[in-house]
Amino acid sequence: MLAEIGLVSTFLAFVAALYAIVVAVIGGRRHAERLIVSARNAALLTFLLLLVATGALVVALMTEQYQMSYVWSVSDPATPPFYRFTALWGSQKGSLLFWSLLMSLFAAAALLINWRTHRRLMPYVIAYTMATLAFFVGLVLFYENPFERWWLVGSQAVSSALIPAGAAAPTAERLAETANGLNPLLRHFGMIIHPPMLYLGFVGFVIPFAFAMAALASGDLSTNWIKATRRWTLVAWLFLSLGLLLGGRWAYDVLGWGGYWGWDPVENAAFLPWLIGTAFLHSVMIQEKRGMLKVWNMFLVIGTFSAVIFGTFATRSGLIDSVHSFARSEIGFPMFFFWAIISLISAGLILWRWNRGELKDEHRFVNILSRESLFVLNNVVFVMLFVAIFWGSFGAPVVSELFMNENITLGTDYFLRVTPPLFVALYILMGIAPLSAWGATSLRRLSRSLIVPLALTAVLLVGVVITQHTGDPGALFGYGIVSMAGFVALYETYRGATARRRSLGESWPRAIGALFTRNRRRYGGYVVHLGITVIGIGVIGSTLFQQETQRTLSVGETLDFGGYSLRYDGFTDAIAEDGRRMQIADVTISRDGRELARLRPRQDIYPTMPMTIAGSYSTAEADYYVLLVGWEETSAQNATFKVYINPLINLVWWGGVILILGTLIGTWPTETVPAQLRQAAPINGRARAKA
Amino acid sequence: MAEATWEKSASPTVKSAGGGRLKFLIGGLLILAAVAYLIISGTSAGARYFITVDELVANRDYVGKTVRISGAVIGDTIQYDGQNLIMDFTIAHIPTEYQNLALTLYEAANDPNATRLPVHIVNQPKPDLLQHEAQAILTGKLGEDGVFYASELLLKCPTRFEEAEPGKAIVEPSA
Repeated sequence: MLAEIGLVSTFLAFVAALYAIVVAVIGGRRHAERLIVSARNAALLTFLLLLVATGALVVALMTEQYQMSYVWSVSDPATPPFYRFTALWGSQKGSLLFWSLLMSLFAAAALLINWRTHRRLMPYVIAYTMATLAFFVGLVLFYENPFERWWLVGSQAVSSALIPAGAAAPTAERLAETANGLNPLLRHFGMIIHPPMLYLGFVGFVIPFAFAMAALASGDLSTNWIKATRRWTLVAWLFLSLGLLLGGRWAYDVLGWGGYWGWDPVENAAFLPWLIGTAFLHSVMIQEKRGMLKVWNMFLVIGTFSAVIFGTFATRSGLIDSVHSFARSEIGFPMFFFWAIISLISAGLILWRWNRGELKDEHRFVNILSRESLFVLNNVVFVMLFVAIFWGSFGAPVVSELFMNENITLGTDYFLRVTPPLFVALYILMGIAPLSAWGATSLRRLSRSLIVPLALTAVLLVGVVITQHTGDPGALFGYGIVSMAGFVALYETYRGATARRRSLGESWPRAIGALFTRNRRRYGGYVVHLGITVIGIGVIGSTLFQQETQRTLSVGETLDFGGYSLRYDGFTDAIAEDGRRMQIADVTISRDGRELARLRPRQDIYPTMPMTIAGSYSTAEADYYVLLVGWEETSAQNATFKVYINPLINLVWWGGVILILGTLIGTWPTETVPAQLRQAAPINGRARAKA
Repeated sequence: MAEATWEKSASPTVKSAGGGRLKFLIGGLLILAAVAYLIISGTSAGARYFITVDELVANRDYVGKTVRISGAVIGDTIQYDGQNLIMDFTIAHIPTEYQNLALTLYEAANDPNATRLPVHIVNQPKPDLLQHEAQAILTGKLGEDGVFYASELLLKCPTRFEEAEPGKAIVEPSA
């Protein structure tokens, strides 16, 4: 029954999406209000239908309907209820349905929120969002159907959405007995929230793309589409950032290699939309404020959309293994065609409007130190990073396989060589750009605003050297560049607050509060910059100064390493509730004779594979990260440990929290200020002139 | 808009001289050249040739060169010295072109005639996925002694063979 409900509502959602595309475009061209409203209603309906379909799959997962092959493949009777629920995105078929649901949710929200304010764009927003949705729902229906069931045909078990002729249903007992269970790697809180966050980020970027294309199609090329989508872009960016951070955290906790980012193609595929999306986030500001870069922004938004589609599929289609497996994969070609068609239509629209002279910039670049020039530089660096990482993870392997008949992959050394100079450039720009003004900035004024942040940076570096944390010139250079950007963000906020205090006599908390409420985007942006700074410091520290060692210890023996000592206290062999066997080593970490923590590094033995779970003791200074890598089978008198000391790694996570907070501040809805009150706003301007 | 008033804006109709454009153009080209250099030098430094076990064993030129190979792990050969973190196992040749990875791995690991290559890895904890019929993707060098000294080991999920025919278990009652 659940399978039928799911199947029928997914199919209806597919039909509704197709209907919405056709009717919206016709309605848009003929300016037929009734048709546009009908298309909107169909678009809203897709969300309800997909909600029902997803609901049916969730109910099937929770109530153990193993005749559904998806349920059979991602859960078994021992799976706890919480993981049953998260198994919805435990494998490709469920993920695609879930992706579609989120897509329709974003589309519905965008249509409802912007319906009155951006009426002219709406028909094409419907068309673009529903085209994307229809494609994904089509994949769910025709290629990766989560509502397939097991049938016995003769002596074979067949997974099919429709009932094959002469088929019999397998018995429930047999199905429950053979069910697969969720991949143990996915049983971690980071892995549970990581995919939905990433999907939300991915689908979120479809909204600005749809509005941009709607602007091209409708001819409303004012900044309307940017105003309508800037919050959507930030929301998408927020989720994408969160997804990436959680993914890193998951890798650090679960994969047991002491790191959080390995330049693996799968990771890079999620990082690519972030890079180009971040470039877009900055460059739309130039269009909004100065009416420049109109064509470039269109290309960036198409690029972001393409990276999203690519990111969704690169990991799923087998492209990463080999070009040949991409061709063999069932969804490889549909995905490529979809992407190609959408990109061609979009590029065609840009060309058409450009030819008619409707995408002319209102200003020109005058001064290399103007904010718009620095933003363009920032964009160039982001795009270069995108190109370099894309080439390293996908370009080089594919090109070499197709044209050189050779199979070349680029290892981490490629990324460690190519990306640092670009990241350094980004941090420098992040330090300078906020101090520059639109139009032109004089070098003198710029250097004057840099004095305080530079002095603070110098103090910090001297402090680092004096306290003998490091004297390594490369590390000091890195810390310096990165922290300068953070000091600029802090100092600018401080300057804003002082100006308010001086001109309005406000108290500190009030002045800072007012800054954040009056100009959320600007000061939220500074908080994000601060977060990126903190992450940068964490990355430098944990990359350059990671220490590792390994030793076999007998019970009672101690390993001294990096100023810490680890004592092996004993071994526990336990069976967890879900049936996995846990081999746990009890260890005590101490420093200077003081006990810091008792850790329990362990190995979980699942039927399919063992999993190494690290024990770690975290402080702001470093993580003491210990893995149990071996033990004597019979007595466990001796056990072998691998220990990593990861300095400053926690700054990566804390910086992530700051970044998320800053994005929330920037995204938070502003109260609409009535027109007459807006005149009062130049207080800020005066304050700035004084400062 | 409150935020717009924050910035000092230049007069809207500043005409830029042709020289200004040229400056931007040259600057842009310099950046592009620098990045192109970075990418090209990075590519030649980081490139790893992916070859098969057959190719590696047949050609002496590969001895001592960093290459990437992949093969099917033979379960019986896995030896792990947990005290000193020394890992030894043997992989069997798998072709680059295949229809079904799981089946290919299964056949390679069970084919006595397939080319086999001993692998030696030090200083690494035993990976969770190192099992019979796993696909091992290794980066390292072939030594004069015919042993592959790997510095990097990646493993692909070994349960794929079951996945290739997932329904089998449902039909055949387990003994």
